[in-house]
Amino acid sequence: MKTISLSGLLILFILIGCEDMVEVDRQSYVIAVGIDVTDQDGIYAFTYQIANPEAGSTLAGIGAEQTPDETITVVGTDIMTATNTANSFVTKQIILDQTRVLIVSEALARSDQFLRVMQSAARTTEIRRSIQIIVSKEDASDFINNNLPVLEQRPHKYYQYMLSRAKETGIIPDADLHRFFQITEGDADLFLGIYATTTYDPKELDGSEDEFIAGQVPKEGGNATQFMGSAVFKEGIMIDRLTGEETRICNILDKTMNINELLANYPDPLAPEYQVATDVFLTDNPKVNLSYDSETNHATIDVTVPFEVKVLAIPSLIHYSQNENFKRTLRDAIEQYITDATDELIKKSQEAYRSDPFYWSIYIRRHFKDIPAYEEGDWHKNIYPNADITVNYQLKRLHFGKMLDDTKLDEVRD
Amino acid sequence: MKVDRRLTSFEMFTLTSILIGIKLTDTTPSLFSQKAQNAFWYIPLLAFICILPAFLVLLYLLYKHNAKHFVHLFELLLGQGLGKSLAFIIFILSFVMIALDSRNYVEQIKIIYFQRSSILIIFALFGGVCIFGAIRGIEVVGYTTRIFWPFIRISFFILAALIFESVVWQRIFPIFGAGVPVILEEGVSKGSLFLDFFLLTMAFSAFRKPSQFIKGGLIGLIFSIAEITFFFFLYTTVFDYNSIEKISFPFHEVTQYVNLGDFFTNIETFFMVFWLLATFLRFILLLYLITWLFGAIFNIDEFELLLLPMGFFLMVIGLLPDNAVVTELIYRNKLLNIITPVIALVPFLLLLIHFFKRKKDLT
Repeated sequence: MKTISLSGLLILFILIGCEDMVEVDRQSYVIAVGIDVTDQDGIYAFTYQIANPEAGSTLAGIGAEQTPDETITVVGTDIMTATNTANSFVTKQIILDQTRVLIVSEALARSDQFLRVMQSAARTTEIRRSIQIIVSKEDASDFINNNLPVLEQRPHKYYQYMLSRAKETGIIPDADLHRFFQITEGDADLFLGIYATTTYDPKELDGSEDEFIAGQVPKEGGNATQFMGSAVFKEGIMIDRLTGEETRICNILDKTMNINELLANYPDPLAPEYQVATDVFLTDNPKVNLSYDSETNHATIDVTVPFEVKVLAIPSLIHYSQNENFKRTLRDAIEQYITDATDELIKKSQEAYRSDPFYWSIYIRRHFKDIPAYEEGDWHKNIYPNADITVNYQLKRLHFGKMLDDTKLDEVRD
Repeated sequence: MKVDRRLTSFEMFTLTSILIGIKLTDTTPSLFSQKAQNAFWYIPLLAFICILPAFLVLLYLLYKHNAKHFVHLFELLLGQGLGKSLAFIIFILSFVMIALDSRNYVEQIKIIYFQRSSILIIFALFGGVCIFGAIRGIEVVGYTTRIFWPFIRISFFILAALIFESVVWQRIFPIFGAGVPVILEEGVSKGSLFLDFFLLTMAFSAFRKPSQFIKGGLIGLIFSIAEITFFFFLYTTVFDYNSIEKISFPFHEVTQYVNLGDFFTNIETFFMVFWLLATFLRFILLLYLITWLFGAIFNIDEFELLLLPMGFFLMVIGLLPDNAVVTELIYRNKLLNIITPVIALVPFLLLLIHFFKRKKDLT
């Protein structure tokens, strides 16, 4: 009798541990959350893209036609209460643990409501700080509905692969929630969000392939969704967007972005109608040398970026690899091109944005004794817009890949 | 299981490390960063430097008088009445401190992992585990800690390695944070971070030789302080000063943030297991020590029978505050400031009396 009552008590203790338990098949996993503005302030439209775990798995069997996801939109004041509203027609409990991306419409990002929505997202325990922030040109609900990847049908894989590949090429920034709060709360720099769209608005071809923002990349076939360029946020409000190339420069100059290899092409210096395709390696983090005069509150910033270039293709078939003079011309041209593009971006950031997208405020901090003095100095209102900035690109090595030389055009066509 | 009746210096080292080192996982960093901003990472170091002389004096006196524990020492030097009442003050302060601390950890378990369970049930289970563990006695606790210590430390350092790529070390600048006076004030007033070590001297006689207690304890203290400073440094450089103030549980925020490559995402449960283990060990030990202290004050030899009521009272007091923010920012902060002068000054008072008495004995 004593044993029975004791073990009954023990079971009671163990079972209490199940109070929070929810069976896996009674949960709906949301992969993407979209947020849009509505006519009313403080009320937003939330779109949830819910993954179907059975689709695409071998267990589902052949012939079982299941869609990989379900997309729903509900209206609410914040992410968590909207999930409850959604349960009026979603059968299972909505779980945000697996959410990978937060998609915000450009209209919301440009309003002062954005920070309020993000704040409620940060307070939610389920939402992780590694979620990526995507700004869509159209409404976020349209973006999710129009996004119909063919090869990666399962949404979590799609976002994971899409974003990690686009980041490797440097055309989009790394924009997780963690970074958003570091920069916005740090009140010193510009945050870059990923810019994407599903509306197609091709731009005239004019040479370089990176001078696009999302939606402008000319293409045929494939998914309608394009990830390209970035949305610039100042103090939690979107103020502008950067093209793929400008984003790439930001990625190069920012040491906290872990991007060290990217593909790019530059105008061919000897045959301007062609481009030279290259693979750019950053051999080291950019060296930012910042000197600061506390009396005039003026900073001088010298940046040195050592990099290596591997030439992938020379469509003009000029013999850059063998001729020393040509090689030097190519070197100078690449350095010149990238320096010009950078100077233009810096000028734009100093004059139009009056803050920097490179996270350079971390270098000024050592010149201050304590935080009150640092906040008094005011990096992005006083110091950065008036700073003297020189960026010096140093091309350390020029590789030519596995071909010693290209086809000799005049010999082939004689 | 046959347990060696006496503890050795390695067990002392692990006990100290669990008691002090685990503080890096709770709300202590957020509490410090409220005032000190991004300079909070070296506050434990300052606090340690301030409190170290007091501990050295205490250890010296315990050794010199061959005392069983600090209540015994108080009685030897101050006489029975005064010694016991001083010990009782320390008991009250540490009792409230442990109650608030346990609430703090229960709150973490609830907010991060079991959002829908009631705090009462989590607290009751937590208390149950601690009482069950503490009943086994100090030797078993020391032995268990020694076995699990490497696993807990390894899991912490895996976490440190994973978060390392997010570190931007320039964020420690401006080096003096909110300003030198604030930093010094915070550093001096937060010496009570090491109150647990003071309590640990209750177990002075549970070791084979007193020198083992001293050796293990000092190495353990230095190790813990290095570990705490290192992790606080990581928090500063990962979160920056404006964000760390707003985060209640930086440790859990970090475990949620890190991924092991693209495939192993959401790995916080791995760290939670070891963290929970460390938390249990810490509170088992604290419960045992506080009951021992109570027993020593009121001359109760069979004090292990008091573990159950003592655990129950800790739970009741722990349940009093409304929420984690109040517990942390108001009650715990004030209590830490009150305890510091007590544990910093009492050993010197004892030292004075010690010399005074010796002089009298000589003459």
